[in-house]
Amino acid sequence: MLFNKKGSLIGAVLAVTIGILVIHVNFVIFQGLFDAIVRDISDYRNGDILVTDDADFIDKSDLSLVNWFERIPYVEAATPRLSSTAEMNMTKNGKLIEETRIPIVGVDPFRDILASTVAQTVNDGSYVFSRNSIVLGSNVARDLGGAQVGDSVKVLIVDRYGQDQIRRFTVSGIAQSPGGQGFDYTAVIHIDTLRDMMNRHGDSGSLIVKLNDPSKAFEVKEFFLRSFPNDDFIAETIEESAEQQLAGFRSGIAMINMIGYFGMMSSAFAIVTIQMMLVNGKTREIGVMRAIGAKRKDILIIFIFQGMIIGAIGAGVGTAAGLGYTFYAKETKMSFNNSLPLEVSYNWEKIIQTALTSFVLAIIASLYPSYRATKLLPVEAMRTV
Amino acid sequence: MVLIVGSSGSGKSTLLNMIGLLDRPTNGKIFIDGIDTTTLDDNNISSFRNKKLGFIFQFSNLLTDLSVLENILLPRQIAGTNHTAEKDARDLLKAVGLEDQINKRANKISGGQAQRVAIARGLINNPSIVLADEPTGNLDSVTSDTIVQLMKSMAKKLNQTFIIVTHDKQHFGDVDKVITIKDGRAFEGDQPSEMKVIA
Repeated sequence: MLFNKKGSLIGAVLAVTIGILVIHVNFVIFQGLFDAIVRDISDYRNGDILVTDDADFIDKSDLSLVNWFERIPYVEAATPRLSSTAEMNMTKNGKLIEETRIPIVGVDPFRDILASTVAQTVNDGSYVFSRNSIVLGSNVARDLGGAQVGDSVKVLIVDRYGQDQIRRFTVSGIAQSPGGQGFDYTAVIHIDTLRDMMNRHGDSGSLIVKLNDPSKAFEVKEFFLRSFPNDDFIAETIEESAEQQLAGFRSGIAMINMIGYFGMMSSAFAIVTIQMMLVNGKTREIGVMRAIGAKRKDILIIFIFQGMIIGAIGAGVGTAAGLGYTFYAKETKMSFNNSLPLEVSYNWEKIIQTALTSFVLAIIASLYPSYRATKLLPVEAMRTV
Repeated sequence: MVLIVGSSGSGKSTLLNMIGLLDRPTNGKIFIDGIDTTTLDDNNISSFRNKKLGFIFQFSNLLTDLSVLENILLPRQIAGTNHTAEKDARDLLKAVGLEDQINKRANKISGGQAQRVAIARGLINNPSIVLADEPTGNLDSVTSDTIVQLMKSMAKKLNQTFIIVTHDKQHFGDVDKVITIKDGRAFEGDQPSEMKVIA
């Protein structure tokens, strides 16, 4: 570099580096949070494909549908689910505690553990294993006065004909999961028991399908819908089924990304300022160079080249620092607010795009100072002390 | 060797800047090597300055971030003709007696040495004219004498035209021509009785 001002150049490189690092940190945290929520919705509730019916309930045999799906090589497992709301009560320390409008989910315990990770959230006791066992979400257990494994809970459900159906269950487990997408506010029972109570024998509310390659979700979904043209099935990929829950997060991430890009723009302004300082600090030298024959173009090239070096080093260091942070977040299984583990991934397209954008911005930011440098008149510039 | 003399503010440096194409005349023309330089555009003026003119400034005006050798090579690099450049620069450094300072930073040498480097830089492209603006104005009298003798010997050795602006012509002794600027006019000679109007 012809004009050696290490301090200023390090400052400019740092500005680019920090701009990129902010974008990487934002991406790791906020995209990681978004992906973690998608992961949990998929793992606990919707699978990679969620099948429902236009008429609210699927009356086709759940076994035949599960078998149909499990013949597809991309499908790992499928399982039916049925949902309702219940009133619950239990006597604890001689006191009757009642809770209303508790979501209740019926599962096929043998299939559910293959297609969902809800069973893994049971951190006390065991998952639903018989027709009269119930798993309570940790918040439901708390609201029922501190229900524990082995306690007896009375559950009331209104069936399809408006009749109250009451049964007594034994608490087999308490479920707790970070992130709020699990079944902490829900109770889980055997699907056949729930069908009996709802008077919906053979019906399912939904079918969740877990794929071994989630990128094939759309393909499998379309194949399913084409295969059952006369039914009123609705099949949705995780992006479609969780759209409402994710819409807010998408806007949030877009805003955070914008903040990141504003940070990058700020670093571009920092480069403009630093390059202008270099031009002002080296006015006499520019005048000398012009006097001994340097053309305006030569001066322009010097400062643009300087901008390219700033951009290249800044993009390189910033990307390396960002990748280092991403690696750290992935290896330490970084969690959001000490609860939800982030889903950290390397998005190479975005990483390259960020590095290239900051490199180009550094060059663009150097254009005006370079232009100013070319406009200096040799005689006047040489008089500068 | 041509001296341009005159009192302060008489326009010596302005005349030199116009000859050096660092300034443009408001009217009139400047011919160098038969070329009307007032018709040249900015790019051609830069090329002309680089190839046909050498500059020695009062404060040497070396680039302090570069070494002595790099400073001397600069006009050649701008010209884009690097063939034999380093050998030529080393020869010039030897001629000005600074071959042992070749890799020193320009801000690490004395004022007299810096001015000798500036002379070498002014000569590296073998210009038609070397223009020097008060080349000894910032030096003590002993160093000034050394610089003057060096310029004289280089002018003789390389058969090089030097046009030097100075207010102290005694230092230079015998020269080929003296031009005096007085009251906005140029005279040949410096003794009032012998002065002949030339412009």
